[in-house]
Amino acid sequence: MTTNNKVIIIPCSGIGKAYGTVGREATYMVMEDMRPGLTDTVCLSLLVMGDEEARRRVRENPCITIDGCPLACARKNVEFAGGQQAVNLRVIDTYKEHRDLKPRAVTFIDENGRQLARFLAQQVAAEVDRLLYNEEVS
Amino acid sequence: MPDLPNKKVGLVSCSGEELAEGTIARVATLLVLEKLRPDDTVTICLPLFLAGGQEEQAFARFYPTIAIDGCDKLCAKRGTEAHSGPVANVVVVSDIMAELGISLTNSRRALDEEGLRLARLVADEIARRVDALRREEKMPELGVIDLSGAERPAPKVAPGETVCACRAGGLPVTQVEMAWGRVGIVGLQPLFERAYAQGLRPSPDVGEQLLKTVKVYNYVPASAESEYAKVLAREYTTFCQRKGT
Repeated sequence: MTTNNKVIIIPCSGIGKAYGTVGREATYMVMEDMRPGLTDTVCLSLLVMGDEEARRRVRENPCITIDGCPLACARKNVEFAGGQQAVNLRVIDTYKEHRDLKPRAVTFIDENGRQLARFLAQQVAAEVDRLLYNEEVS
Repeated sequence: MPDLPNKKVGLVSCSGEELAEGTIARVATLLVLEKLRPDDTVTICLPLFLAGGQEEQAFARFYPTIAIDGCDKLCAKRGTEAHSGPVANVVVVSDIMAELGISLTNSRRALDEEGLRLARLVADEIARRVDALRREEKMPELGVIDLSGAERPAPKVAPGETVCACRAGGLPVTQVEMAWGRVGIVGLQPLFERAYAQGLRPSPDVGEQLLKTVKVYNYVPASAESEYAKVLAREYTTFCQRKGT
């Protein structure tokens, strides 16, 4: 893997649940703050629609999917599109490690959700490094 | 009384993670679901049409559905129509921006004041269309059984959730025994309830009558229609016997 590749981070669209909001926020944290230039995202809706450009991007780049609920929309839709599913993360797993951070807001993320997203984003960033530089995740 | 979905309007937003317009679409949709019309609307994650099953794919056939799209790719509309059913209406954020002469400089991550103002405008437009659909009071394609006017229980929404169709296991599916094995039929139980309430009773052609409505929500191969009609008549007769008729 070379740094010519970007890692595509795809959160589930998660409109109905706070964990979906957390997954999306973590995605933006990594893309804009933690690993800008090395990461990108694809609208999951484009994959649902079968958009060729979106499919090409998930096939040519390693993907990290983030799911907010057990239905695993992000993981499954990347699989359906034939994408390079490198890592699948679940917000609930991060929450299990930080049970004091129960997110409750859906429309606008609350402070618990933001903190939870930071923990998740750290994990995502570590996976990005591993994928791009073959670094071990500690 | 069963929770008959045609009394609610379905909202399907594009996920739109790549664009600020997608964030506007999502936030506007949530404002309608949570603040403006919480009792009248229900949503589902668009990707669930592929990741889910028959229950999720029946969403737009049950609910008159408004697609809320961020851009002219119309993923919500096209995705819903490809995997679920026709949409009743479409709201496109970029079209509203063009009509209002607004050019968005907002981040896709979080909305600033201008973005929030636009989200509220879009939410008002969605709510207006929800009201218009609800005034129609029925889904015209429902055919023989009019599902309008049904009561429904108040939605139970936990903190951190909105009214999401996947939350309670999606739409109701009843399995019935066909000649070739068990088949799940979406919405059978609520349809039976309404048919019974409207006075339909077992008769020689009751299976055909029920089949017309079942086909609105379920794919029924032409070659299997007579078997469906026979089984529907049998199941409905049993249902009516349990009701004491």
